[in-house]
Amino acid sequence: MAGSLKPVGAFAITPHKVSVCILLQIYAPPAQASVPFPFSSVSQHNRLGLFLLALTKSCDDILEPQLDELINQLKEIGGLLNHWLSEHLTRKLSALSSPDDLFNLFSSLRSILGGPETSILEDDQIILDPNSHLGMFLRRCLLAFNLLSFEGVCHLLTNIGTYCKEAVSSCPPYDLPDEDDSNNDLEELLEYEDMDLESFVFRKVAEEAEARKRARESATFHTHTPRSLLGLVEDIQVSADSKYKNCDGIGQGSEFLGPSHDTFRGDDHNSGLFLRTNWQVQGYLREQADLIEKHGSSFPLNAFESILKQLQKLAPELHRVHYLRYLNNLYHDDYPAALENLHCYFDYSAGAEGIDAPSSSSSFISYGNYEIALLCLGMMHCYLGHPKQSLEVLTEAVRASQQHNNDTCLAYTLTSICNLLSEIGISNATGIIASSYSPVTSIGTSLSIQQQLLVLLRRSLKRAESLKLTRLVASNRLAMAKFDLTHVKRPLLSFGPKASTKLRTCPIDVCKELRLSSYLLSEFGSDGASLTIDGAFSTAWLKNLQKPMASSVLSQENRSENGSDAFQFGSQPSSIPGYVLQLAGASYLLRATAWELFGSAPVARLNALVYATCFADGSSSADLALAYVKLIQHLAVYKGYKEAFSAMKLAEEKFLSVSKSRMQLLKLQLLHERALHRGHLKLAQQVCDEIGVLASSVTGVDLELKTEASLRHARTLLAAKQFSQAAAVAHSLFCMCYKFNLQVENATVLLFLAEIHKKSGNAVLGLPYVLASLSFCQSFNLDLLEASATLTLAELWLSLGSNHAKRAKALIHRALPMILGHGGLELRARAFIAEAKCYLSDPNFSVLEDSEVVLDSLRQASEELEVLEYHELAAEAFYLMALIFDRLGQLEERESAASSFKDHVIALENPKDDEGLLLDSYST
Amino acid sequence: MGSKDSCRTELRTAIRQLSDRCLYSASKWASEQLVGIEQDPAKFTPSHTRFQRGSSSIRRRFRTNDIPSTPAAGVSYTTTPVPEEDEIVDSDCYLLAKSYFDCREYRRAAHALRDQTGKKAVFLRCYALFLAGEKRKEEEMIELDGPLGKSDAVNHELVSLERELSAYRKSGNIDPFGLYLYGLVLKENGHEDLSRNVLVESVNSYPWNWSAWSELQSLCTTIDILNTLNLKNHWMKDFFLASAYQGLRMHSESLSKYEYLQGTFTFSNYIQAQIAKAQYSLREFEQVEVIFEELLRNDPYRVEDMDMYSNVLYAKECFSALSYLAHRVFLTDKYQPESCCIIGNYYSLKGQHEKSVVYFRRALKLNKNYLSAWTLMGHEYVEMKNIPAAIDAYRRAVDIDPCDYRAWYGLGQAYEMMCMPFYALYYFQKSVYLQPNDSRLWIAMAQCYEAEQLHMLEEAIKCYKRAANCNDREAIALHQLAKLHNELGRSEEAAFYYKKDLERMEDEDREGPNMVEALLFLATHCKAQKRFEEAEVYCTRLLDYTGPEKETAKSLLRGMRAAQSGLPSMDVEHFPP
Repeated sequence: MAGSLKPVGAFAITPHKVSVCILLQIYAPPAQASVPFPFSSVSQHNRLGLFLLALTKSCDDILEPQLDELINQLKEIGGLLNHWLSEHLTRKLSALSSPDDLFNLFSSLRSILGGPETSILEDDQIILDPNSHLGMFLRRCLLAFNLLSFEGVCHLLTNIGTYCKEAVSSCPPYDLPDEDDSNNDLEELLEYEDMDLESFVFRKVAEEAEARKRARESATFHTHTPRSLLGLVEDIQVSADSKYKNCDGIGQGSEFLGPSHDTFRGDDHNSGLFLRTNWQVQGYLREQADLIEKHGSSFPLNAFESILKQLQKLAPELHRVHYLRYLNNLYHDDYPAALENLHCYFDYSAGAEGIDAPSSSSSFISYGNYEIALLCLGMMHCYLGHPKQSLEVLTEAVRASQQHNNDTCLAYTLTSICNLLSEIGISNATGIIASSYSPVTSIGTSLSIQQQLLVLLRRSLKRAESLKLTRLVASNRLAMAKFDLTHVKRPLLSFGPKASTKLRTCPIDVCKELRLSSYLLSEFGSDGASLTIDGAFSTAWLKNLQKPMASSVLSQENRSENGSDAFQFGSQPSSIPGYVLQLAGASYLLRATAWELFGSAPVARLNALVYATCFADGSSSADLALAYVKLIQHLAVYKGYKEAFSAMKLAEEKFLSVSKSRMQLLKLQLLHERALHRGHLKLAQQVCDEIGVLASSVTGVDLELKTEASLRHARTLLAAKQFSQAAAVAHSLFCMCYKFNLQVENATVLLFLAEIHKKSGNAVLGLPYVLASLSFCQSFNLDLLEASATLTLAELWLSLGSNHAKRAKALIHRALPMILGHGGLELRARAFIAEAKCYLSDPNFSVLEDSEVVLDSLRQASEELEVLEYHELAAEAFYLMALIFDRLGQLEERESAASSFKDHVIALENPKDDEGLLLDSYST
Repeated sequence: MGSKDSCRTELRTAIRQLSDRCLYSASKWASEQLVGIEQDPAKFTPSHTRFQRGSSSIRRRFRTNDIPSTPAAGVSYTTTPVPEEDEIVDSDCYLLAKSYFDCREYRRAAHALRDQTGKKAVFLRCYALFLAGEKRKEEEMIELDGPLGKSDAVNHELVSLERELSAYRKSGNIDPFGLYLYGLVLKENGHEDLSRNVLVESVNSYPWNWSAWSELQSLCTTIDILNTLNLKNHWMKDFFLASAYQGLRMHSESLSKYEYLQGTFTFSNYIQAQIAKAQYSLREFEQVEVIFEELLRNDPYRVEDMDMYSNVLYAKECFSALSYLAHRVFLTDKYQPESCCIIGNYYSLKGQHEKSVVYFRRALKLNKNYLSAWTLMGHEYVEMKNIPAAIDAYRRAVDIDPCDYRAWYGLGQAYEMMCMPFYALYYFQKSVYLQPNDSRLWIAMAQCYEAEQLHMLEEAIKCYKRAANCNDREAIALHQLAKLHNELGRSEEAAFYYKKDLERMEDEDREGPNMVEALLFLATHCKAQKRFEEAEVYCTRLLDYTGPEKETAKSLLRGMRAAQSGLPSMDVEHFPP
């Protein structure tokens, strides 16, 4: 690269590394003994080894620990030895007073390394294998030291001096009285009481040094802090919120708090701070990137941003920081900043920044991997809802990766185009895709956009398979399943002999794809792209040191020690990489959706439950929220609003309520539903408008939300008995669904149109709609919807006159098994009432003879409707009941039914105002 | 503005005071302005007037108003600086310190003044400490150059200096020079607002310290900040404003200020160079060249600003002049970033891009934040088809100064070369945003939109329109507009632009395929519109050219004649009511 004048990834020697080297010397002294001098047992010895391994591998932070932190950790591990260890370490370090001491130290270190040819080891000799992790570390230290110029050695010496001094001067927090001056007032703000103030409070051994240091510290405090501090406080409050609201959030909260500690420490004095090895920092960054993607907008923006800023200051040539900033900004919907950082990252890195050594294949040198930049940019536009730009960029990415023979990138790009096409409604290809080059149009303009999508999906699946990109194959299979779920496969040929195809979706295909997708994941080990952060283990191990539980176990110094160790290592974040969990989880989520559509409520619920319980750790918060939403929706439909709302409250605490989140939408949906049932139309309209506002204004984006909103709008109008308006809205919705090929939604809309005609009294007009809906349901295998359409059909026939009652009854009886097995409260109640009505209007049926048939279903209906607080239907049920009792002459029952009827009618006409309160309590 | 004489006396005193305090560059600047003041020919012997390269026609050309209408001169600052009281008392120590300082032994100088309390001595001690810290910082920067480019070398004196100076300021025991140093230290420590206030205080009480003004200028990053400064009226303020305007890319405002200043400081090399800079930004290369030629005649060993001259020579492809310039600066001081840059330019012009990169690299080694070297190196890498390196270089330029539209433009071009036009658009948009009146940028953006892969013609037309409106020298925009409109089937618009293009070509006496194309289109268009006379004119003009167009014109003419002869009947046939 032009600007990088130095080799990236070199290994600099720092005071912390010197201490690790000293500890290594203790661990593997040149003297021969099975258990070297200070150790009393083998396990104790091993523990130090593990600790050193963890120290050189962990990636929980960007900065190397200070001496005092190191000593604290040593205390956790050393047990009885801790004094000796830390004493020895500090003594050794402070004994380094001239460059020559350093030279001597390093030359003595050399002797603990075994030579490359020492294959014959004596039994109890402890020698570091030069090719082991620790051996490599030591060798790199030696090499780095040997490469140092004299100035470098001097600087190292000075740094070791400050490193020791700070450890000596830093006292435990809080018990140091601030005797000397007022400078510290500023630092004692209450907000920071949980931060480690120790790093602010210095007591210098040398008086002069102290004064200078303090001055500098306060100076920088002036400059940088106001902004970053405010940001920090803000973030901490947010995460503290999440932390205290529920117990589940604790892990999350503390996870976030961890780094902010460090920022605080780091931002203010740069003198004694050193970056960890490049490898560790990269690991840290990768972990953070995973966290951002997982938590989305609930990740603390400012705290992490300030860490990144610090990192950028410490390592301007580490360009990955820009990428992290991009991610951070992206997930907080900061478009300009995300764009800026994305461009910056790829300008510098040219799309290739490996862990330690940049890849140097010849093709890279001449071209760079800028197609990856395009891929990222395309996905960014897609995420932010700019379909046009996204498609343009992705098309360019296809071109660029073809040009540079980057097949992997091409496969990924094709997949993201598929995602884009399936997520965003595109009515016709030519309007949005201007370029003749585009992969979409090049397939052939005669095909509809859905067919093109299918072709693309197949191609990218094949490509991914041939390139052995397991995760891509898995996610492509998921996309395929999604496609199969909602689309009828049509023959691609528009001429020639046509195979006889049933124009139906094929649930078996869906299941097959889903199964294949998760089946492939078992081979994740063979995937070349599966780079796990094995530093994560070490990080977690080190973190566990601080846990009181661990220390109490360890201090006992008995044989349970080893066991607990093993246990702790075993209970680390599982060895299955996160993306595998995510993909496997996604398949369960998709299964839930599929069963929802196919109409099996229990199986759908089961899958959502599996997801929420088994994949909660690995999944992103958005996906988890979706699973919760499904569960809560299930509750609302089958158990009524009360339970749904109480579950909702729990879920809302778990997911920080962000606007436009699924939780928000779900809340509005539930509120709307309930308002409609209770007859509170004003509120319903208001909620409905709120839903509409959530959707983006760009055409083709947020289609799901838009259909939802306008369907609800139409339902509100229908409830207000404004039939023509409702029909108009439903009609335009139908047009939109047709335009964007939303066939499943079309079935719903058609059924709704039939409903409008039924309510407006034009049963004859309703018939064609309901029949159309039925045929849609059949070809998409929407069994539950089909049952509900059949019910509507029966109701329509019934309203045509009593001579159709028999036909209606037959229809209802056909649909009843499905409805009773899978239908929600409302649907069942409607079926019961309709059935009762059928009997009642049947001239051959006599109430006096067989009253229980009718009464039983009406009772069931009324019970369910009361749970739902669906006043209108409940009133109807009670009215019918009252009629029957009247006929039967059971006056008492008649009166009670009539009074219930009256109650419901009154409630319907004067909706209580407690809803307003409820809305407030939920929308805040 | 004060009279020339008062300026002269003020400057003379100031120069003595400045160099007494070892503020050499400020004193250099003041001396340059001093000799730049036009001498009164009556008073001086001819030997003095050798600075007067008067009656130069060039200067006349630039000076639009000989007697500029100045803003009220009455407020002008007239008091002479306070005489120094402590000069005699501690002069021995001071002299020792000053000589140490002159030998660049800063710590020794500071040590020699350790017990002195006079304002002057305090200033020199602090200043020496500051410079010692800076020197050490530079050294450490190289020593600490970490693997990931970490350069956290800091001036270790800053903190103690800030504390000491702020104490002096609080007690009111500080002179304008001390304030200047305090401002400098504050700026280095990142306290920009406070620094600005302190510097304003300093220049208000002692306006002749150009170093203070330039520090202040570097803190004025927006026009709003500049406007809120509470500055006393003094002729030095005009210098400041001119320079600040230039920094804020308000080139014409800056130019007029400098031209006004030239009324007094007629022979100032500094002003001339600044005018050249402004003209360069306005892309008036001819004038810049003339100015630099004269500047070099008067000041042949000048290295400052000469890189700009070399850019002009590069643009005009003056091989020998550029090589001459390169040779001269090489002999004068080869380890100046400017010198390296000039040599780099020379090699670039010669097409030896590898060598050119070597010299740009050297320039960057001497000054890591040398903006134009990064950009020029980017250009070289583009020439060498090493696009990733070029992108990296441009990016560094952009990170040093996000307002450098050339580097943004370079980035856009680099991505365009890699067939990523949509990606490139982002960069072109950035550059156009910074320099909305540059037709080249608009054209580049339009070409991106027009690219085969994107084919977003409507957007391209919008860009070309902007380009055509901002003085498009190469006249690409008009022609492209006509072509695009034609392509989109809007013949009226196409005809309009072809006509405009034609007029322009006639105006500038240019011939070429564009001319033929325009004539041919207009001829056929007019014929189709039944404006036969006009069509005939175009056709006859086409007859002057050889090639297939001539034949087409002939057949067009023939067709028209035939049509005209049978006009009445045809008319009715073709256009039924």
